[in-house]
Amino acid sequence: MMQGFAFVAVAVFLVVLLLLSAGHEKDEDLTPGAKRNRGRLGSADALQSAELVLRIFSPKDREFIELRHSPRLQRLYQEERRKVALHWVRRTSREVSRIMRHHRLNARYSQNVNVAAETKLFGQYLELRFLCGVLVFLIQLLGPHALVDLASYTGKLYEQLGRTMRDVSAVSNVASSGDAVP
Amino acid sequence: MNNPAYLLTMQNAFEDLQRRTLSHIPCDFARLIYLASMRDYNCAIYHHEGLAARYGQEQAREALQASHRDIFSKLVYLPLEGLVTELEAYVRASHEAPDDLIDAWQELEPYRVAVPMEADSTMVQLFLSNIRLALEVLRLRQEQSQACQPVSSLPPLPAR
Repeated sequence: MMQGFAFVAVAVFLVVLLLLSAGHEKDEDLTPGAKRNRGRLGSADALQSAELVLRIFSPKDREFIELRHSPRLQRLYQEERRKVALHWVRRTSREVSRIMRHHRLNARYSQNVNVAAETKLFGQYLELRFLCGVLVFLIQLLGPHALVDLASYTGKLYEQLGRTMRDVSAVSNVASSGDAVP
Repeated sequence: MNNPAYLLTMQNAFEDLQRRTLSHIPCDFARLIYLASMRDYNCAIYHHEGLAARYGQEQAREALQASHRDIFSKLVYLPLEGLVTELEAYVRASHEAPDDLIDAWQELEPYRVAVPMEADSTMVQLFLSNIRLALEVLRLRQEQSQACQPVSSLPPLPAR
């Protein structure tokens, strides 16, 4: 019974993530040219977006804003970066879907379909869509720098764990050497 | 058009535009606004009489379009601090009262027309977002300088 519920919950979560990653965005910030370009498959500009991601999440910009010591500016920065980050993730997700659709159409007319390769490709597609969904979820929930923050928090936690481990083993060494003394 | 003579003329037009016109404009942001102003609002076709007379209508248009795209992507990849400096230089060069310009730009967002046609959608989003942030930084600086000014400009108190 419980297993059934868990299965349904995981399935619902996955569907929600996929819907989130394909969610609609407001086009108010885009020029018609940009909107047209958004639909272009594999354009050179799309390749640039990997570089753009570094700009969107740039720690230099974040530091610059933090140094202004203005809560209003920091709020605006969070809002603006969240919007741009969500735009990028959703766009990536849409492009991946479009590429897969094209590939599916081509594969339909192909004479020799490699089932193993197709299965692997489909697995990668699902993984990418899932990651996009997770990204949208995290950005909406925790803000645009969520991943960077999570990574640095994990790093700190790892260091803390290492220190605790050392302390614990030092204490147990002392205890065991104390036990050995007659 | 891919014939070598055409490309060479276009390249010459591009270099001429950089050398004679754009190099005299004080900052990249002002260059972007200048190039956007060379584009017809109705049909998005670029016009530059001098350049067209020397190199031909089509080559002049392509040179203007290429320059516009170049400057735009240069500004998109600029760190926020750099963009604030650019915007500050533009405000100074405009000779308008900074408060008025910032108010008008925040209200009307005229910088939207500075975006080249066919620009990548994420680049456009990032550019517009960065301009909004840069304007807010400038407003903050204005407020801070105005808050400091009255104290320093007060007349000295009469001696008792």
